[in-house]
Amino acid sequence: MTTTITETKIPPSTHEFANVIHRLEAGGSMLPDTPENLMQIIGIYKAYAVPMDFYWRDLLYIAERVFLNPLPFFKYFLPKEYLDLHNHYAGDDADLRIWRGEATAHPELLAFIQKGETFKMPKLFHHLNHDRINMEFAEACMNAMLWHRGMGGQFDPYLDTDEYKANADRAIKAYFQGNPVMLGLYKLFPEMFIEQVRQLSYYANLGLFWEVMAPVFFEMSDIYDEGGFKGVPDAMNFLVNGIFAIAGRPIYHHVYIRGKCYEIIPKSKGFMWLYEAALPYVEAVFYRTSPFRGTKSYNAQAKQVPDEQKDFHYGILYADVLPVGTAGIPPTLLMDDMLHFLPDYLIDYYRQHCRGEDDMLIQLGITFQRSMYNVTSAVIQALRTALLYPLDDTNPKHLMANRRFFEAQMDRFKRSEARLRDIQSQDYR
Amino acid sequence: MLSILIWFPIIGAAIISFLPVKLTPSQSRLLASGIGGATFFWTLFLVSKFNYQGEGIQLSEFLPWLEFIGLNYNIGVDGLSFPLVVLNTFLIWTAIYSSDLEEEGGKPLQRPRLFYALMLILGGCITGALLSQNLLLFFIFYEVKLIPVYLLINIWGGENRGYAGTKYLLYTAFSGVFVLISFLGLVFLTSSTFDYQNLQSQVLPFGKQIILLVTLIIGFGIKIPLVPLHTWLPDAYTEASTPVSMILGGILSKLGTYGLIRFGLGLFPEVWSSVAFPLACVAVVSALYASLVAVAQTDLKKMVAYSSIAHIAFVVLATAAGTPLSLLGAVCQMFAHGLIVALLFNLVGIVESKTGSRDLTILKGLMNPLRGLPLTGGLMILGVMASAGIPGMVGFIGEFLSFQGSFIVFPILTLLCLVATGLTAVYFVILLNRAFFGRLDTKIAYLPKVQFSERTPAIILSILIVLLGLQPNLLTKFSERTSITIATTSGTPSTPPIIYRYLKD
Repeated sequence: MTTTITETKIPPSTHEFANVIHRLEAGGSMLPDTPENLMQIIGIYKAYAVPMDFYWRDLLYIAERVFLNPLPFFKYFLPKEYLDLHNHYAGDDADLRIWRGEATAHPELLAFIQKGETFKMPKLFHHLNHDRINMEFAEACMNAMLWHRGMGGQFDPYLDTDEYKANADRAIKAYFQGNPVMLGLYKLFPEMFIEQVRQLSYYANLGLFWEVMAPVFFEMSDIYDEGGFKGVPDAMNFLVNGIFAIAGRPIYHHVYIRGKCYEIIPKSKGFMWLYEAALPYVEAVFYRTSPFRGTKSYNAQAKQVPDEQKDFHYGILYADVLPVGTAGIPPTLLMDDMLHFLPDYLIDYYRQHCRGEDDMLIQLGITFQRSMYNVTSAVIQALRTALLYPLDDTNPKHLMANRRFFEAQMDRFKRSEARLRDIQSQDYR
Repeated sequence: MLSILIWFPIIGAAIISFLPVKLTPSQSRLLASGIGGATFFWTLFLVSKFNYQGEGIQLSEFLPWLEFIGLNYNIGVDGLSFPLVVLNTFLIWTAIYSSDLEEEGGKPLQRPRLFYALMLILGGCITGALLSQNLLLFFIFYEVKLIPVYLLINIWGGENRGYAGTKYLLYTAFSGVFVLISFLGLVFLTSSTFDYQNLQSQVLPFGKQIILLVTLIIGFGIKIPLVPLHTWLPDAYTEASTPVSMILGGILSKLGTYGLIRFGLGLFPEVWSSVAFPLACVAVVSALYASLVAVAQTDLKKMVAYSSIAHIAFVVLATAAGTPLSLLGAVCQMFAHGLIVALLFNLVGIVESKTGSRDLTILKGLMNPLRGLPLTGGLMILGVMASAGIPGMVGFIGEFLSFQGSFIVFPILTLLCLVATGLTAVYFVILLNRAFFGRLDTKIAYLPKVQFSERTPAIILSILIVLLGLQPNLLTKFSERTSITIATTSGTPSTPPIIYRYLKD
C-alpha cells in the first residue's frame, strides 16, 4: 500500500537500481521478498550466531584477560568463566532481553567445543587438528575496523587522546609489573605498546558489537521457527527495531589484571553501540575490508588496489563467493565455521541444488551474502529513520529527500563487483 | 596363447552383438570392460612368460592357412611389439570403461552393443597387427581395423563426424594401399614368402629397395602421421568421442611408427641410412609445425591432437637414427605417448562432458576446488607436464632416450626437436592458463560434479605415468635386447647415415 502512495507522490526513480529503491521506499529490503530468501537468511543467521557466540566471548577474553601477553599461545582457549559469561541481552538477568534463551554459551557451541567434527578429546588436540572455530576470522574483522579509521564516531579519535594514553599506560605498567624486560621495552618503545592496546580496544569494541548480534540472530531464528516472520521485510524490521533498542548500549574497554579492573575506555565516556560499533563495523566489514590476496594484486604498479581507503570495496557485499575454499580467500574461514551449525532445513535445501553437499561452502556463502544484504538494508532503513523522514510521510519534499538518500546508498553498488544485481535472482546460488 | 589376445575380444564382440537378451548400456559396458579386463590380465600373464634376454620372436604360433598366396597365421612377440600390445589391451579396457562419460552427460550411449562390439573388434585387430609375423596377415589386420574406426567416428562422433570419418577412411585406405604395394613388391621381387623371418631385401639392388622403402614410409607416414600427410588427424581426433579419441591417439598412431621400425628398418636395413636423414628432417618439420599450430589453437582437443603429432615425430626421429639407444627410446616414447595422449583425451572428454565446451575462450577457472573440476585439473597439469617431458614422469624417459640416442647421429635435428619439446610447454601452459587457472565464471559456475567412476581411468593412467617415470626399468627392460638386435642387423651405429658422414668430413 505504501508503494502506491510513494508512486503517486513522486515520480519513479530513474536510478539503475530503481526497482530496489522503490522496494526500500515501500519499506522493503534490498533482498527480494520470497519465502525461499526468508528461509535462507534466517537459517544462515542461526548458523552465523553460534560461532558469533564464540567470537564475542573470545574477543572480550583477549581484550580483558590475555591483554598484552607477548606470547598468546592459548588466546583461543576460552576458560569456563567466559563460556559461562552472561550475555547482557539473553537469559533471565538480561539488561534488555532480546533472546529468550540462556545467557551462557549456546549449547550447540558447547557441544562443538567438546566434540568438534571428530570426537571428544582435549581442547589442545582439537586445536592442533584444526577442528575448531576459526577465530582468525573475527580477528580479521577487528583488524579491518582498526585499520579503516575515520568512519565517523568518537571512539576512534579517542584512541589518540592523552587521556586514553594515560589509561593505557596504567594498565600496561600494572600488567608487566615485576617484569623488567617488558617494562624496559615499554620505556624504549612506548608507542608500540600503546598501539597494541588500541588494537585490544577494538577487540573489545567488536566483542561488544557481536554480543548484541548473536542474541538478535538467535531470537530471529526462534521467531521464524514459530512462524513469526511473514516475509523478508519482517525480518529486516526486527533488525531495525533491534538496532534502535540497543543503540545506546555502552562501548568500553576494561582490563582485568590480578583481579583488579583497569578502565582503559570507561563506560562513562558514553560511547554508544550504534555509532561506535555498529556503523563502523558495517562500513569496515560489509563494504571495505581489504582486497583478498587470492583475487587482487597488491602490486603498486598494477593499480588494482585503490589509493584511498574510502574506495575499498572488498566487503561481503562485493565479495566473490565462488572461490571460497581456495587459497587466499579469507571468508572461507567464516563459511567453514557456519558449516558446522547449519539448521537441517538449510542442509536439505543445499542438497537439492548445485553439487549438494560437495559445494555447500559456496552455497551457504552466497546465502550469507544475501542475508548480509538484508542486514545492510536494515542499517540503511535505520539510518533513514534516524536522519530523515518516515516512509509514509505525505510531504513530497520529504519523500524526495528519502529518495536521494536511498539513491546515494545504491550508488555504492553501481560498481561491477557489487552482488546486488546477482542476489535479485534466485538462480544465483 | 597369444591368439587369445586377438580372438578373445573379437569373440567377445560377437557375444555382445548376438546375445539374445537386450542389454542396457551399462550392462553392455560392464560385459565389454569385463572382456577387455580379462584380455589385459591375460597380457600381463604373458608378460610374466616373456624372456627379456631372448633374441627374436617369442611365444610364436604358426598355422598354415592360404599357402598358395603365402598367407600364414604366423604370430609372435618381441621386445618391440610387446609393450605396444600391453598398451593396447590396457587402453582398450580403459577406453571402454570411460565410455561411461556419455551416460553422465545426460544422454545415454546410443546403440551400446554396436559400440562395444566395434571397440573390442578394434582392440583385437590392433593386437593382431602388432603380433603378425606375416606381412599379409599384418596387412589384413591393418585394413580391417579401419572399418570399426570409421564407424566409431561416424556414428558416435561430434557434429562434423561425417566429414572427419570419410577423410580418415580415405587417408587410411591409401595408407594401406602404399603399404600393400611395398609388401607385394618386396615379396615378388625377392620371390620369397610373406613370412617376416624369411624376407631378405639384401638380394635386391639399391634402387629398388629405395623405391619400396619410400613407398612403405609414405604408407606408414600417413598413419603416424608425418606432416604433409597429417590433415586427417585433427579432424578425426576432435570429432571422435572420448573413448575413441583415446584409442586413436593412444594406440592407433603407434601402428605407423611400429610399422616403420618393424618393416622399414627391419626389412630394409641396408638402405635405411640413405633415407634416414630426409626422414629425420620430415620428423623435425612435423614436430615444429605441429607444435606451432598447437600454439594457435583455441580448441582443447585440437591442441591435444596437434601435440600428439608433434610428439610422435620424436619417435620417427629416433627410428631414423636407428641406434640401439634411440630405438629403445622410440619404443619408450611410443608407450609414454600412448599413456599421456590417452590421459589428455580422457581429461578433455571429462571437461567437455561437464562444461559442454572445449573452447579456450569460454572455459575459465576450472581448478576451483568446490565448483570446478579440481581433480581433473590437477591430473591435467600432471599429464601436460608428462607430455612436455618433465622428469619424474614417463614422458621424460621416452623423450630423453630418443634424443640421447638420436643426438650422436643427427645433432642439429635433435636440437631442433628439443625446441619442439619446449613449445609443448608453451601451448600446454596456454591451455592450463586459459581453461584451469583464473576465476571461475559465474555463468558457467554450475557444473555437474565428476563422479568417481569417471575419474578412475584418468587416475590409473596418471599413476602409471608417474610409476614408469620413477621406475623406467619396468618399461625399458622389454626392449633393450630387441633394439640392440634391430640396430645391429641394420648396422646403423657403425655406419652413420651418408649425409652425416658428409657433414663430418
